[in-house]
Amino acid sequence: MIDLTYWAPVMVGGAVAGASTGMLGVYIIGMRIPFLGVCVSHAALAGAVFGSLAGLTGPMLLVPALVGAVATAMLLGMLEPETTHININVLMGLLFTLSMGLAFLGIGLFPRYGISDNDVRNLLWGSLIFCRWNHVALMSAVAGVQVVFVVLFYKEMRAIMFSRLHASAAGVHVTFVWTIFLILTAAVLTVNFQTVGGLMIYSLMANPAAAAFLLVKGHGRALAVAMLLGATSGFGGFLIAAVTDLSTGAIIVIFSSVLVAVAAIVNYWRRRGASR
Amino acid sequence: MTDPVIQIDDLRVRAGWRTILSVDRLSIPAGQVVTILGPNGAGKSTLLKCCLGFHRGLTGEVRLLGREVRRLGSAGLSRLRRRVGYVPQVLAAHSEMPLTLREVVSIGRCGLAGLLRPLGRGDWLIVDEWIERLGLTELAGSAYSDLSGGEQRKALIARAMVQQPEILVLDEPTANLDLFWREQIVAVLEELFHQIRLTVVLVCHELEVIPPCCRRVVLLEAGCISADGPVEEVLTNGQIARLYGEGLAVVHSGDRHAVIPSGRDPR
Repeated sequence: MIDLTYWAPVMVGGAVAGASTGMLGVYIIGMRIPFLGVCVSHAALAGAVFGSLAGLTGPMLLVPALVGAVATAMLLGMLEPETTHININVLMGLLFTLSMGLAFLGIGLFPRYGISDNDVRNLLWGSLIFCRWNHVALMSAVAGVQVVFVVLFYKEMRAIMFSRLHASAAGVHVTFVWTIFLILTAAVLTVNFQTVGGLMIYSLMANPAAAAFLLVKGHGRALAVAMLLGATSGFGGFLIAAVTDLSTGAIIVIFSSVLVAVAAIVNYWRRRGASR
Repeated sequence: MTDPVIQIDDLRVRAGWRTILSVDRLSIPAGQVVTILGPNGAGKSTLLKCCLGFHRGLTGEVRLLGREVRRLGSAGLSRLRRRVGYVPQVLAAHSEMPLTLREVVSIGRCGLAGLLRPLGRGDWLIVDEWIERLGLTELAGSAYSDLSGGEQRKALIARAMVQQPEILVLDEPTANLDLFWREQIVAVLEELFHQIRLTVVLVCHELEVIPPCCRRVVLLEAGCISADGPVEEVLTNGQIARLYGEGLAVVHSGDRHAVIPSGRDPR
């Protein structure tokens, strides 16, 4: 029997994280920039490491983590591929390795200043089973802002997801909307990062979106299905882990991967049926 | 005499130490169909990007629909681009794209509708009208990524046309298309000109793509305009030999043009 007093925030937190990152994933996978999640979340880690060095602990580490993530996101927004002549995926690779370099440099300094790396370790690997209602409230608040953004800039994000060049050609304020999207991405990833960790956040971002694209066509439908599959991954993965007494994070990642496999099989049979 | 829709004076674009585009003067009046022709690397796409404000590192004066593009900020450029139907060469199609053809065409209305305003019923009526005019109605609900290259190209022309543009700018609209789809695109351009007298600027490097309604060709060679005038006067064997090498002959058949090999039989 599951003790709901303790596990309810874990289940709700997993579902909120899944829905929120699933929604983000539709755009990130749709634009073929899956590395954005890894790049921005590790910039958050670098920020948290230097926050630790500055004497911050616990939830306060969220502030420097957010600063690192937002700074990286804004840098990505400002460095246009047309100006830098560097593909955005390559640029993200550069920023990711720089973030990791800075993070490990900072972690290497911890013993010198007698700082424990427990907080930063939690941030890197996440701790969903320690998710409390205050975490859920913060994640839900950021997810709410994300929903408001998508509703307000629904058509612009559709155009940008298709192609930033075509969106610019149609007279969309690409730089403005794209920069807000990147900042929001940084906020969503940072807030979810401390709860679900780097690996799980990546799978919850990429897998529901990939599965949604296999199952449905259309912007709105893809968003709805990705959010649903993301929430299902978080919630369902937790239930399976609780029943089997296995690692929650690992089961959520595997469960979301299984959903992609199921979607691929459904897509295959549907196409096969249509071609007959 | 109407003001030119595109007016270029002393345009220079450099890439490092090399000048890749050098246009002393080019003027395109409203209502003309102009083809900019030249070999790969001649600067055709760069010229279009300069006109639309996509290329920052340039000197000289480029006026589009009466506005000096270099003086405009990003918001001003966005407003100006809404008046231009620009179809870039890139099809932007990949299997992870969840959008339907109708959604892709609707992108053309996104700038015009303005920020924070959803597309209205009127916008969707225009979208559906152009989908129908380009013969894509049956495919409207299909995934854009599942369409053929020709269908995608038509969808992108529809996307540009729903902007109800004052000028249509196409960058190699028949790239990678077979003969059937090439002729389909040429027919679409011909129809657009005759139906709405649209100003069209077409960039290509195949003479066969030049639609019958085109009366003026600009030849671009190593970043410079080497000829500019009526089609038959510009498209001569001598010009083509200079651009693409010997052993080619220009054939004019009615209002259509083609290049065929004329060298000695290699056998």
